[in-house]
Amino acid sequence: MTTDDPIIEINDAAVTYDGGETFVLDHVSMSIERGEILGIVGESGSGKSMFADSMLDAIPDPGRLSGEIRYHRDDGTTVDVLELSDDELREFRWEEVSMVFQGAMSSFNPTMKIGGHFRETLKAHDADVTSGMEFARELLSDLYLDPERVLTSYPHELSGGMQQRALIALSLVLEPEVLVMDEPTAALDLLMQRSILTLLEDLQEKYDLTMVFITHDLPLVAELADRMAVMYAFQLIEVGDREQLIANSGHPYTRALLNATPDIEAPLEEMRPIEGQSPAPINVPQGCAFAPRCPLATEECRVEDPASTQLDDDHAVACHYAEDARDEIALHFDRSEETVPVSGGDGS
Amino acid sequence: MSNYYVRRTARVFATIFAVATLTFGLIRLLPGGPFTQLRAQLLRQGVPASEVDARISNLQNIDPNAPLWRQYLDYMGAVAQGNFGESISLGEPVAQIIAEAVPWTVFVVLVSTILMFAVGIFLGSLQAYWEGSRFDKAFSGLSIGLMSVPFYVVAVISLYVFAYQWGWLPTAGTVGTNVEKELSVPFVLSALEHSLLPIFSYTLGGIGGQALAMRGNSIQVLGNDYVRVARLRGLPDRRIATRYVARNAILPMYTGFLLLLGFRLSGTVILEQIFSYTGLGYYMFAALKANDYPLMMATFLIITVALIVGVYIADLTYSKIDPRISAGGSDEAY
Repeated sequence: MTTDDPIIEINDAAVTYDGGETFVLDHVSMSIERGEILGIVGESGSGKSMFADSMLDAIPDPGRLSGEIRYHRDDGTTVDVLELSDDELREFRWEEVSMVFQGAMSSFNPTMKIGGHFRETLKAHDADVTSGMEFARELLSDLYLDPERVLTSYPHELSGGMQQRALIALSLVLEPEVLVMDEPTAALDLLMQRSILTLLEDLQEKYDLTMVFITHDLPLVAELADRMAVMYAFQLIEVGDREQLIANSGHPYTRALLNATPDIEAPLEEMRPIEGQSPAPINVPQGCAFAPRCPLATEECRVEDPASTQLDDDHAVACHYAEDARDEIALHFDRSEETVPVSGGDGS
Repeated sequence: MSNYYVRRTARVFATIFAVATLTFGLIRLLPGGPFTQLRAQLLRQGVPASEVDARISNLQNIDPNAPLWRQYLDYMGAVAQGNFGESISLGEPVAQIIAEAVPWTVFVVLVSTILMFAVGIFLGSLQAYWEGSRFDKAFSGLSIGLMSVPFYVVAVISLYVFAYQWGWLPTAGTVGTNVEKELSVPFVLSALEHSLLPIFSYTLGGIGGQALAMRGNSIQVLGNDYVRVARLRGLPDRRIATRYVARNAILPMYTGFLLLLGFRLSGTVILEQIFSYTGLGYYMFAALKANDYPLMMATFLIITVALIVGVYIADLTYSKIDPRISAGGSDEAY
């Protein structure tokens, strides 16, 4: 996989919690193009959050991150995030790469007004508070919120959707280049999810952001992303252009996942759950991690972990039988027609 | 909302009224009646019966021969005007005795309770930050140990060691006998010296409980997403420790603090006895021993009122310090 102007290059990133051979992010490499929206899809416990956290070197204690995370600044200089000192890291986070967590409801200090969160962030980064708050108001307006009301409210006085949007504004207040979103819509109802998605698209255009959107909700991210990656058992198993990945996916897991996704237009009989469970970090199978659940698995799969190979232009798959998978696992419904997202509005 | 404040305030007075009534009634129920002993004593001394009745009625603001409802109304009327009668054993107006005793007790209770919370909160948050460390484990054990030692044991031991054996501190009283009772440096120093042991023994045992509570609260707060987000936002550690962790961990302890203030006032009955510290508790016990009913009723009433007021303040102010709670809901302290 090649990108022309990568902003973040992740090489061989691995996270371990016992210092041994158990990985919750298993030597992942990925490069993120400046200005793109990258969607990362995976089941619960597939290592999505670890992937997100690693981009800010923010793995929760006592996890240890190894590998190389190269960040290319606007001015052409490059830093290795894992080499930064504490102070440099403190600056890097939020000023260059910022993050929105799952559960906005718990991301604000319950005893501090929303405005206080903005001000203290600006102060901590030695930014001008007056102009920074001006920008915060603009961001909140962009997100269809009433800036004065939101800034003078306590978190509990806002609805979930409003808190989520306020959190997005807070993550953008220092004008970062990259916004990493870890399940930003998980706690919201469907309408709110769609409207936040639309808002994110507008923000991305307006502020020229690079976005990494992490979710378990495949159809949701498919509407937004330029490029998508699928995670299974702590590894990226398929990465590619959105259309390619959905209409022409090469990994049996991706195809099974697409067939398991509910669709209002598809008859219920065509829904196919994936048998079995995804592995826990302590007993990831030898060879291909998906082999025990894969209809195409052979002896080779059980012995040798497939390397990521280029399938098409801008489409890489880690499967020994990617070509066969395309023929043998039929996609039960046509996904080439995009469903139109329910548009905007204030869902609070 | 203002309706809530009116109702809540009205309830304070209703509770105090009920307590005063109960006090009056309970004392009537005591075997022998409140003034039987006194009357017998006075009569033995050869005081004429008519004068005995007059003196007793003067002591209690009631006429002992009047019907019970009449006595009750007289008593309540007098209490409402702040007239608690005259002490039988000390021969002084009860109000005056109490006015002299209350400041000492309030001083000891206030200082020791604040110290107990301050030290407990400090140690508890250190434990939480170093959760699982050797310090944390050792101190958790120590806290439980401290909690299981009653304060009067600490009081007796410290009195024996520091005052009697080593003679560092006075054994009794609120100030030295040769010190003028006026606001001067020697007076303040003497008062501090005398209060040191009572405050120490009343504080030590309570620290453990507060430290464990603070430890638990802090660990819970530290696990919250908003602390993690605050770190990622690059906030200085100090601000996270105070504005995020401490504030959210201490909030739930605020109500407990005000309630404890009230409860600990009654604990001084034992404490002040041990140190012969002439505060409210000391006089309450003295009154009990001497069958000094007017003094007894007054001290009992004061302690109850302090507790009621503590709960009242907690109810009214909690919504001011925790924005999530609005006054008037079902979120009352008690």
